[in-house]
Amino acid sequence: MPSKDMIGRVLTTGSATVTAEHVANFAQALGDDHPAYRGADATAPLTYPIAFMTQAMAGGMDTFLELGLNFMTLVHGEQEFEYLRPVRVGETLSLTGRIADVYDKTGSSGTLDFVVLETEGRDQQGRPVFLSRNTLISKRT
Amino acid sequence: MPLDPRTVRVGLELPPLRKGPITREMLKEYGPAAGDPNPMHVDDEFARNAGYPGVFAHGMLSMGFLGEFLVNAAGVGNVRRLKARFAKLTWPGDVVTCAGTVTAVRDEDDRRIVECDIWTETQSGERKVIGSATLALPRG
Repeated sequence: MPSKDMIGRVLTTGSATVTAEHVANFAQALGDDHPAYRGADATAPLTYPIAFMTQAMAGGMDTFLELGLNFMTLVHGEQEFEYLRPVRVGETLSLTGRIADVYDKTGSSGTLDFVVLETEGRDQQGRPVFLSRNTLISKRT
Repeated sequence: MPLDPRTVRVGLELPPLRKGPITREMLKEYGPAAGDPNPMHVDDEFARNAGYPGVFAHGMLSMGFLGEFLVNAAGVGNVRRLKARFAKLTWPGDVVTCAGTVTAVRDEDDRRIVECDIWTETQSGERKVIGSATLALPRG
């Protein structure tokens, strides 16, 4: 199970370039035909960082195992984004993912473990572009 | 029509956005586009083995709809924060309506900062994804 000792630890890092195709494909999958999300000068939809993070930071299931979460009962409970400015096609963003919080709640059906992952995206000048806060929940078995 | 920063006030309803009905094809398209390989959203047998009646929509798909809804209301580049809690599941066949109300308005430099409660609801009126957002409208 996840432990409080993990709070503050850097879990993953990565970097990638935002491509027009990746952004347009994501907008398409949302059924969002806003012209701002198409072409070489496009910006990205508000939830695009989730797709970018998956692409830029390897790890996936290994990361969840490392967290001590039960993958079979893992649920994405909450998601928050803070935006300093829109993500732009053509720019390279560096990501740092940290464990921001670990806690548990016990109720009549057992104990739930909560892990909050905070991922910051910065541009080539080192300026923050977005912050993602992802709350994962798994049932302790 | 985007919100008018001059007339925005507490209690105002944001223009709703209707999406769907959710189809299995939409779920098959969203997973790869978002880098989410979870079979729970595309494989009915997998979902049933996990105790669900069948596949259900990615929470992030509904959150994506909320993103479109907020950009419609505020304009590209004018959303500062978007938060969502995946309270209840959304199923194939559900029509998803994004809605929200203004909870606070304040001024900060050249922007009018608008706090909102937002949510998705389906045809039964049940709220599925519940959250909040901060908009920063140019005061012009």
